[in-house]
Amino acid sequence: MSSLVKCPHCGLRPREEFTIRGEVPTPRPAAGADESVWFDHVYLRDNPRGQHREYWHHSGGCRRWLVLDRNTVTHETGDVVDASTLKSEGRA
Amino acid sequence: MTSFRIDGGTLIDRDDVREFTFNGERLRGFGGDTVASALLANGRQLVGRSFKYHRPRGILTAGAAEPNALLTIGRDGRRDPNTRATMAELFDGLEARSQNCWPNVDFDIGAMNGLLGPLLGAGFYYKTFMWPAAFWEKVYEPLIRKAAGLGRASYDPDPGSYEKCWAHCDVLVIGAGPAGLAAALTAGRAGARVIIADEGAQLGGGMLAEGGMIGNKPADAVLADMVGELHALPNVEVKKRTTVFGAYDDQVFAAVEQVQKHLSDAAINPDRAMERLWRIVAKQVILATGAEERPIVFGGNDRPGVMTAGAMRTYLNAFGVAPGKQVALFANNNQAYQTAMDLEARGIEVAAIIDPRKCPDIDYGGKARLIAGAMVRDTAGRKAIKSIAVRHDDGRDEMIAVDALAVSGGYSPIVHLACHRGARPVWSDEHVGFMPPENCDGMVPAGAVAGKAGIASCFVAGATAAVSVLNALGLNAAPAGLPDTQTADDIAQGTVAIWSVPSSKGKAFVDYQNDVTAGDINLAMREGYDHVELAKRYTTNGMATDQGKTSNVNAIGILAQNKGVSPGAIGTTTFRPFYTPVSFGALVGASKGFEFQPVRKSPLHGWAERNGAKFVETGLWYRSSWFPKDGETFWRDSVDREVMNVRENVGICDVSTLGKIEIFGADAAEFLNRVYCNAFLKLPVGKARYGIMLREDGLVYDDGTTSCLAENHYFMTTTTALAAGVLTHLEFCAQVLWPDLDVRLASATDQWAQMAIAGPRARDVLAKIIDDDISNDAFPFLAARDVSMFGGRLTGRLFRISFSGELAYEIAVPAGYGESVADAIMVAGKEFDIAPYGTEALGVMRIEKGHVTHAEINGTVTPADLGMGRMVSAKKDDFIGRVMNMREGLVDPMRPALVGIKPKSLADKFATGSHILKIGDEVSLANDQGYVTSMCYSPNLGHAIGLALVKGGPERYGEEVVIWNGLAGTSITGILCNPAFVDPENEKLHA
Amino acid sequence: MRDFPLNNVSPFATMPDGQAHGAIHIAPVRTGFVFHVLGQATGTIDQTRQQQLQKMMDAIAPDLGGELRVLSPGQWFWVGENDVSQGRFGEIAGQLPGEFALSDQTHGRVRLRVTGARVCDVLAKGVMIDLDEGIFGVGQSAMTQIGHIGAMVTRLDRDSFEITVLRSFADSLWHELHHMAAEFNGPHS
Repeated sequence: MSSLVKCPHCGLRPREEFTIRGEVPTPRPAAGADESVWFDHVYLRDNPRGQHREYWHHSGGCRRWLVLDRNTVTHETGDVVDASTLKSEGRA
Repeated sequence: MTSFRIDGGTLIDRDDVREFTFNGERLRGFGGDTVASALLANGRQLVGRSFKYHRPRGILTAGAAEPNALLTIGRDGRRDPNTRATMAELFDGLEARSQNCWPNVDFDIGAMNGLLGPLLGAGFYYKTFMWPAAFWEKVYEPLIRKAAGLGRASYDPDPGSYEKCWAHCDVLVIGAGPAGLAAALTAGRAGARVIIADEGAQLGGGMLAEGGMIGNKPADAVLADMVGELHALPNVEVKKRTTVFGAYDDQVFAAVEQVQKHLSDAAINPDRAMERLWRIVAKQVILATGAEERPIVFGGNDRPGVMTAGAMRTYLNAFGVAPGKQVALFANNNQAYQTAMDLEARGIEVAAIIDPRKCPDIDYGGKARLIAGAMVRDTAGRKAIKSIAVRHDDGRDEMIAVDALAVSGGYSPIVHLACHRGARPVWSDEHVGFMPPENCDGMVPAGAVAGKAGIASCFVAGATAAVSVLNALGLNAAPAGLPDTQTADDIAQGTVAIWSVPSSKGKAFVDYQNDVTAGDINLAMREGYDHVELAKRYTTNGMATDQGKTSNVNAIGILAQNKGVSPGAIGTTTFRPFYTPVSFGALVGASKGFEFQPVRKSPLHGWAERNGAKFVETGLWYRSSWFPKDGETFWRDSVDREVMNVRENVGICDVSTLGKIEIFGADAAEFLNRVYCNAFLKLPVGKARYGIMLREDGLVYDDGTTSCLAENHYFMTTTTALAAGVLTHLEFCAQVLWPDLDVRLASATDQWAQMAIAGPRARDVLAKIIDDDISNDAFPFLAARDVSMFGGRLTGRLFRISFSGELAYEIAVPAGYGESVADAIMVAGKEFDIAPYGTEALGVMRIEKGHVTHAEINGTVTPADLGMGRMVSAKKDDFIGRVMNMREGLVDPMRPALVGIKPKSLADKFATGSHILKIGDEVSLANDQGYVTSMCYSPNLGHAIGLALVKGGPERYGEEVVIWNGLAGTSITGILCNPAFVDPENEKLHA
Repeated sequence: MRDFPLNNVSPFATMPDGQAHGAIHIAPVRTGFVFHVLGQATGTIDQTRQQQLQKMMDAIAPDLGGELRVLSPGQWFWVGENDVSQGRFGEIAGQLPGEFALSDQTHGRVRLRVTGARVCDVLAKGVMIDLDEGIFGVGQSAMTQIGHIGAMVTRLDRDSFEITVLRSFADSLWHELHHMAAEFNGPHS
């Protein structure tokens, strides 16, 4: 697990400043979507071995929600982006 | 006993005499001594007993790897068990005691275990203590614990303080031997921010054992020059007594610094930490951790007086301690011969050099007799070595009288930190050792850890490594001009592997600390545990506090030899932090006692204290729970009075800890409409509304009120418990789910002191301090707006909301004025008999009124379960939890739903957590009808009342049920009822 | 009751200023204001926006002075040394365009200053960020943690920092800072 996270707004900060929400699930369905689509969004998680995308909240810093690319095998952290960018890409 | 102290000793200060005790006996040493060197100087070769067989043990090493000489040092709260005598610096008044022996180290009854040897072999625990099962707790475990076990921890609190710090650098140099020093100097001179850390009391590492000259200067003078320059560089931070014990992701290293543990009681500054835990963030790292000399596995190799060759050289040169008068060397490599040379140079007789290599490629110029192709197969002597048995090449045995034996089986690079993140070391036939992995996770190994031998080559290696990391940082650098060594002394060690002496007689120890012998490893193999990880666990080799620093590679070698493969094919076990033991004190840091966690104090804390409040910890907050008056001895005396006073007169309660969130933005109303399950779009300015937030799975998350203070400006309150959680949730919704909405959130919890004023006289009290008209017409139930107070001197936010069910208001004022306003309310309310009430009274009143808290909102309930199903909007397209809230299982009419519950016989009591059963039903999970979520004594009704979640809920009002308390073993008859025990028609609320 | 004395109580009020002559000086800031400025949500910290905001502030409240400290994208603390009444705050908040909302945090976020030659060594006991002057220069702020307590750390000078902390944590932070500074201030040092 990363010891330091490069917050796009605050720079390098220790893991202790962050709160992890877990894997980025399927996007939140539209209001009228089928119940099964909602089930996948609320409950289905891939839990992959390898590249993993997670929501991290910089709760001890800027209080922005971030999306962190993390490898669960090597613990390497790739991109860290502000999570508000996901919606426009249809991923939140 | 005679003194073994001789001339010389670069580390000791003979003017600084220090007294200490060892097992109660008063001894003397010098400043600069370790406990080990001082004991050896006093002729104490026997210092402890071994773990399993209670064999006499001495001092094997001069450093961090020591498996034998573990002592308990200090007394009372400053007692540290399992302290390595080789690392503990001697201070005046130090008390050291042997471990693992009873009644004493010289005569130890546990030594009988030696006779039971055959029973105590590998897998002994698994084979022996199998049955009967009842014996485990009563017989086996106490026996094992008494007989085994190392030192005992103190029961007294440690009076010392500890702390944790962060440090940052461009280049972290781990280890301050010749390679580390050269690297730090090169990087320091180039202007990089450097941290150099070393576990020793003095920088120098292997250079400290160097007795002779480096080039044309004495070794200690060369070292002093280098260390002096490092200290003088402002960009170099030198950390002595600092062990880097863990390598973590993202180049964060953990280190523990001994700040004051090496000082006498009188010298300790109580305002300074005893130990400091460092987290070091490094851009580049040079690993200059050196190499560990391996012992050789032969019969009787654990007898006191047997020591690694390098350790013997350290005691001789650095501490001025002679290992004995007649010494032998048993070594399979050239480097170890330096010990024999230095011994002879100091006039100590070297009786023989036993070298298993048939034709050692070395020109030994000393007087000692060289016995090539031979091995030591046994030793003799009761508590210290008296002689060795040598098996010659031709099979002939010879006894040689010695009082000390230096041993060297080759060198194991200290690769731990390079492997902490999962990389595996690589076997090298050339170096006869496991070398650092090719990719060291950004660390550059330099010096002995990379297989170099000799000071000159380590200087070069360190400087070269530094240049490479400086280049990576974008700094141009040249290797530091290093001390002239005149000769390149890159010693060809010529090590020839010898994992265990085949002709060994008696026990040949691999792991000294856990008493694992070559025989144990052979047995493990025969029984099928030949995988390195299995052999480790079956024999416990390498599992002691030394983590097998002197034993692991020998064990791997024996496995490899027996299987006829290379040690590389066997591989190592997994390296994990910590490299050496770290005290709990250092890991805890300052977070103990009062500083265990921060305390949050309400702005009314001082007011509550002045009014005699008893406080309760809720999360980090200290909340006032009740306010005893004179004569009240039992908490409920106070609580009952406070409740009745609110119901009959008026009370004031601190509710500042409720979460408060200011919500701004053009889309704030739309946002609220999406996060609450009930409608919020049309909440008018000046009004508050109760809201329920669901989780996306359709269950209730939190409740509270939100007020519209102005267009696009709302003020939300949350429960105290979920204040942080709700803000985080709202931020997720705003930032991730709906970044297109213009909504902005500011936590305002700490800005406001907020008080509830409740009771029939609440308005009368507030009217005296509020300038505006707050009559029922002007300020009806659920009104919320700014009000002028104290003749315009203060503006507050007034909310007509009620948790108690009484006529009630909450008034919020800027936190700094909280105490004054609370005082004013107390003065204004005096004529109405106002009294403060705490969270206990608040809890009683909300149960009387049937209001829910997180006792009911427990993650399993829907709004319908709480009797608020009609609040869930059917009109809104979308809100958090809308779809999942309509799932089949969540709309089942037989779900447990909120009811009130009271005892049939009013004198009966019952407890929260009790389960509800139908009358006559057997107690079983299948028959379970629900459970009590909250209960209290209602002073208004004069009996116990409760809230419960019961199948079918309100359909069953009036039904008699069993309230079953399995913990207490009691059952009473209860009656299910409307949860609003007091004022079900809300007449008081709207008064 | 109109004349009832109203005191603005500092959360540090009961703290003795006992280390005035210590090597590390810890002192509460008892005057001034902290306003939380909330701009429209955005995923990045935007310098131009801050400059626009600064211009508006200078136009609306030239008397206030103070400075902006970046909290997160689109959010700042506007901190100054002058006392501001509730009424004046209302006026300023009303004059800012809807693009920026203002929340008064003067009572919710309290400030103290830590000064002394070894101040970085004291703060490193709780603060993870690299306080090297070349990296965290005078005038810079960071929202971070001091041990377990969230705080904004601002460098006022080479050897002087201002710490802004939630009022409820003020007492704990005060004690922790004194603990951290003890080895430089204590009677034994």
